[in-house]
Amino acid sequence: MSFEQQFDAIENEITEEGDAPPFFSRPGGKIFIIWLVFTAIGVVIGVFAPHHLLPGLQSGTGSDVWATIVFFTVLAAPVAAFVYALAFYSLLAWRPKKSGSSDEPPPDGPPQRGNGPLTILWVGISTLLVIVLLVWGMTVWSSQQVAHDGALQVNVTGQQWLWTYEYPGTGVTSRTLELPQDRPVEFNVTALDVIHGFWLDTMGIQTDANPNENTVIRTTPTTLGGFVVRCSQLCGLNHAFMNNKGSVVTPTQFGNWLVSQGATTSAAAKSADVPESSLTPSSTSTTTAAPMNTGASQ
Amino acid sequence: MADPEKSQEDERKSPAFGVVATLLGVFAFIVAVGVFFSSQYYTSPSGTVVAQSLGTTEVNGQSMPHVALNFQTYPNSTGSRNAQGTGPGSVPVHSSGSDSWPAYGMSNVFQVPAHSLVTVTVHQYDSGGPLNNPWFSKVHGTQDGTATVTTPDGTSSTVSSWDQNNIGHTFTVRGVPGYDPNFFLSVPLPTNADLPNNEGSASNQDNGQSYTVTFSFISGGKGTYAWNCEAPCGQMVAAFGGVMSAYGFMSGFIHVV
Amino acid sequence: MSIATAPLLLEDTPLGPKAGGLYRRQNALVGLIAGVVLAAIGWVISHALLQGSNWGSDMVVTVTLTCWVIGFNIGIGTFNAPFRWVVGKDSTREDELYGAGVGQGAARYWKYCTDHKVVGTQYFVLVMVLFAIGGTLAMMIRTQLITAHSSFLSPGTYNNIVTIHGMIMIIATIIMVSGPFANFILPIMIGAKDMAFPRLNAMSLWVVVSAVPPLLATFVLGGVDTGWTTYAPLSVQAPPAMDAFAICIITFAGVSVTVAGINTIVTVSTMRAKGMTMSRVPIFAWGSVVSAALGLYAMPAFLTAMSMMITDRATGTSFFVNQLGGAGWLWENVFWTMGHPEVYVILLPGTAALMEIASTFSRKPVFAYKAAVAAFVGIGSLAIMVWAHHMFTTGWAPNLATPFMLTTELISIPTGVIFLVLIGTIWKGSIWARLPMYFLYLFLWNFIIGGVTGIYLSDVPADQFFHGNMFTTAHFHYTLLGGAMIAATGAVCYWFPKMTGRMLNERIGKTAFWFIAIAFQVTYFGQFWEGFQGMPRRIAFYDPIFLRANQMSTIGAYFLMLGWMILLAAIIVSWRNGKIAPANPWHAKSLEWKVQTPVPLENFLVDPVVTSDPYTYGEGVPDGQNQPSAAPEPELVPAGASESTSGGGAS
Repeated sequence: MSFEQQFDAIENEITEEGDAPPFFSRPGGKIFIIWLVFTAIGVVIGVFAPHHLLPGLQSGTGSDVWATIVFFTVLAAPVAAFVYALAFYSLLAWRPKKSGSSDEPPPDGPPQRGNGPLTILWVGISTLLVIVLLVWGMTVWSSQQVAHDGALQVNVTGQQWLWTYEYPGTGVTSRTLELPQDRPVEFNVTALDVIHGFWLDTMGIQTDANPNENTVIRTTPTTLGGFVVRCSQLCGLNHAFMNNKGSVVTPTQFGNWLVSQGATTSAAAKSADVPESSLTPSSTSTTTAAPMNTGASQ
Repeated sequence: MADPEKSQEDERKSPAFGVVATLLGVFAFIVAVGVFFSSQYYTSPSGTVVAQSLGTTEVNGQSMPHVALNFQTYPNSTGSRNAQGTGPGSVPVHSSGSDSWPAYGMSNVFQVPAHSLVTVTVHQYDSGGPLNNPWFSKVHGTQDGTATVTTPDGTSSTVSSWDQNNIGHTFTVRGVPGYDPNFFLSVPLPTNADLPNNEGSASNQDNGQSYTVTFSFISGGKGTYAWNCEAPCGQMVAAFGGVMSAYGFMSGFIHVV
Repeated sequence: MSIATAPLLLEDTPLGPKAGGLYRRQNALVGLIAGVVLAAIGWVISHALLQGSNWGSDMVVTVTLTCWVIGFNIGIGTFNAPFRWVVGKDSTREDELYGAGVGQGAARYWKYCTDHKVVGTQYFVLVMVLFAIGGTLAMMIRTQLITAHSSFLSPGTYNNIVTIHGMIMIIATIIMVSGPFANFILPIMIGAKDMAFPRLNAMSLWVVVSAVPPLLATFVLGGVDTGWTTYAPLSVQAPPAMDAFAICIITFAGVSVTVAGINTIVTVSTMRAKGMTMSRVPIFAWGSVVSAALGLYAMPAFLTAMSMMITDRATGTSFFVNQLGGAGWLWENVFWTMGHPEVYVILLPGTAALMEIASTFSRKPVFAYKAAVAAFVGIGSLAIMVWAHHMFTTGWAPNLATPFMLTTELISIPTGVIFLVLIGTIWKGSIWARLPMYFLYLFLWNFIIGGVTGIYLSDVPADQFFHGNMFTTAHFHYTLLGGAMIAATGAVCYWFPKMTGRMLNERIGKTAFWFIAIAFQVTYFGQFWEGFQGMPRRIAFYDPIFLRANQMSTIGAYFLMLGWMILLAAIIVSWRNGKIAPANPWHAKSLEWKVQTPVPLENFLVDPVVTSDPYTYGEGVPDGQNQPSAAPEPELVPAGASESTSGGGAS
């Protein structure tokens, strides 16, 4: 572990005693213990907390968010813990008693004006970490950019203060967002008045809806269930109320829902990519949506 | 810090008084600011409009209370105040607005019982124009998906949508997150090119020229629901500035109790 | 040498009855009256000419508030000197001395005073007033959010409070270190008698003062319901309050920050004492200069953007209105061209001040001084190349996401060096656990969390979840409040004895510290929680699934405010009745501690001579930064003799 060698390097430089006491009673050893504890706390929180805190994720892009949080936290925990360990150890070891209430300063410390190799090492490690972060980010981001043939098109229109979703080819425009399971979706997002934020939190995708601009985002919903679309960009008076429900349903349910919204069975079957015979032509009953996904606290 | 040189003459008096005075002063400031901002919350002089009971009714085999809710939309706040003596009552007017802005009346806060059939009658006195989104020219969420419109000359028709170029306002209600989030109701309140342009005047109320829209819906569970107008009846970009950006004229709440 | 034998300090120079000319009649009250009068004239004229037109109210608000700003500055005296120069009547030495506050006692704190110490003190009070207003607005926000569907504030009022809280805090944090300390302390640190441009210095302060009323006027002009980012076209749609907001920004960012930045850079470049090379200046000077340079890059963009916003609103242009051929993305680009460098404008001087604190209270030299300078310059350079990470999810140029991810993550390398410098300075030192050191440790704790949460936001896929979400709010409060503002608070505690002549009451101060330290974590961990659950920013009503997290945050916020109130109380009682401070209570080695307290006009009785940097702790050599020994010892001048004129110790 390079950090440990770092402690030793610093310690050897400043410790006058020739014969070294056991590792864990030396400053480096104590710092190592503090570091280990902080790192462990960070890693445990990083690995377990996001799963409990995030809303139930419903797509691969959503899982990317979770994986990124876990990976970055685990990567950052030792670094943060290192700074904390040094700071706390300094506070415990090198603070003369009652120095806080003394008007006289404690005696001067050693005149260390810097340590070239240490600085280079520090910068080197940060650079390595940054490269790891960047490679991770680029890999995930490029994997999310891939367009799939035959993706379901949904035209999303934001306006003050409602989202409407148009399913081209079916004549259906709805204020609820129904998506078929395991089918790539392309959202063509635009707005009528001001900028809104189209945010599918459980699917880990977000883009602004800009007037007169069309922005495409993609995902493939994988998990059945409801979600809430919340506007993420302050859009005026009733911004807080600009949210509505959506749900991921099976392709057949999706086709039936399109029919219930007024689409012809043939158009609905084409759009939902299911055989026409599997759809119910009646439009009296709407698909029972899956229960609301209400997030972590319930 | 336990000061060993307490005898210093510079320590003229205990800081306790100063500390307490500062804390109380700042606290009083915060409370005063809070009271000020809270008082900016517009409440109509008419208070909450409570729906009138019409007994009980049966919908889809279920017995539920039946209530009637009446309100109006005015071309401007001045005109509606002029009309106060003749019935429609006062409308939301408050400091951040302008008297020439259109407004709902008698209040912008309504109260209806939960899980009831609510029959709403709106007198629409305002002129209008095209919508930003034709979706709002359709009736959404009412019983049978329709509304009954009576034009100024007295002809009645039951419609599920209206010409998107002749909409005065819309009455759009939504479930606030946590309270029945699926609840949604949107009814266009029509106008007509033949209706005299009454922006800035009270002529239509005086002449009794209004579009009367009647529709029924089943209220959701208990809670507070938000309503607003979705027709571009304001100023600036998309005509959603001005009156549309000021709470109280074209927006409000429905308390479901 | 003649000064050394003179019986009087410079500020005791007797002045003739006409010294100062027009300045004799000008003060803040005159400025207020002049501003109101000119604003009224502007209102009457513009109202008469424009009220009937389409753009009436926007133009009326713009003209009226522009008149207010100009009128206030005429009344306070901003334009006196340029005017006299134009008509060929330059100031006499007596006028200059009057302008520096000679013979005016405490009244000079209400005047256009060119003494950098007066300006610094005025900035200090102004910053505290702004923080009090901004903090009060934060309390409004948190009170509204204590329940899911609160009826405390109307939606429009809430949105406006969110906007003004943001903007007033940004203004306050931009000036919180570069105002009080870069004006009061920095010139003394580098051995200068004053700032390079003393009148511009006073101007930078009074221009900020004149910019605040337009910002507060938004509350009676319909409110700015856009957030402080004022994204177009929503801001073009907003009520006339938006014009007032723009006038405030143009005045503050376009004039004050620019003028102050030029002043700081020129002062440090040209006014250093003999021997004060750029490798011997205290590190705080480096932080201030890089911050000022970054401000000079950033703030003109804000000025430009807001000017275009006013023309969009008041004259019907369409720079930012997509529907009319403009581009909302143009606004976002120009705004964040200012917006991200501005974060480092806020942060750098504070961290530089913490390096001074770390050195003084660990009794050690600043560790890796040159690396620290390189880190400041590196952050400053990278900061202008990262703006579009605020726009990852806007749909603008998705192909640029990767380069901006690169620059954003690169900036963590120089930021890491700042941690190395702070930790390296503390390492093996003798920690003197006085109040400034407490805030240094709190900074380390908070800023690590702010930095780590920042890497999630720098990653485009994760940003798709966190953008526009309370997580982002918590993140930037960790960096700006928990980082920069805590650093500034440490700087207040550190330089308080020099600025006010009194010791800060540390018992009250440490009480405040513990409230702030703990309540801060509660408040913003609550908001991280909200963010993870998926609560958007800036909403007045929310889904009850976020209730617990919001209540945690609100309760934390109440105690956090209590902590700041206690700190304010410590400052007030110490300033009034605190223990008289010795000239060098911290036994530090930089020049500001070598002059007497209260600091005399023009600071140094004898020009200082510098032979080393101020960090010679433990090196067993004499101080390399001092006034020559031939000069009278500063202690020989009785502090009380000058106190009556300095007003620093008196209330």
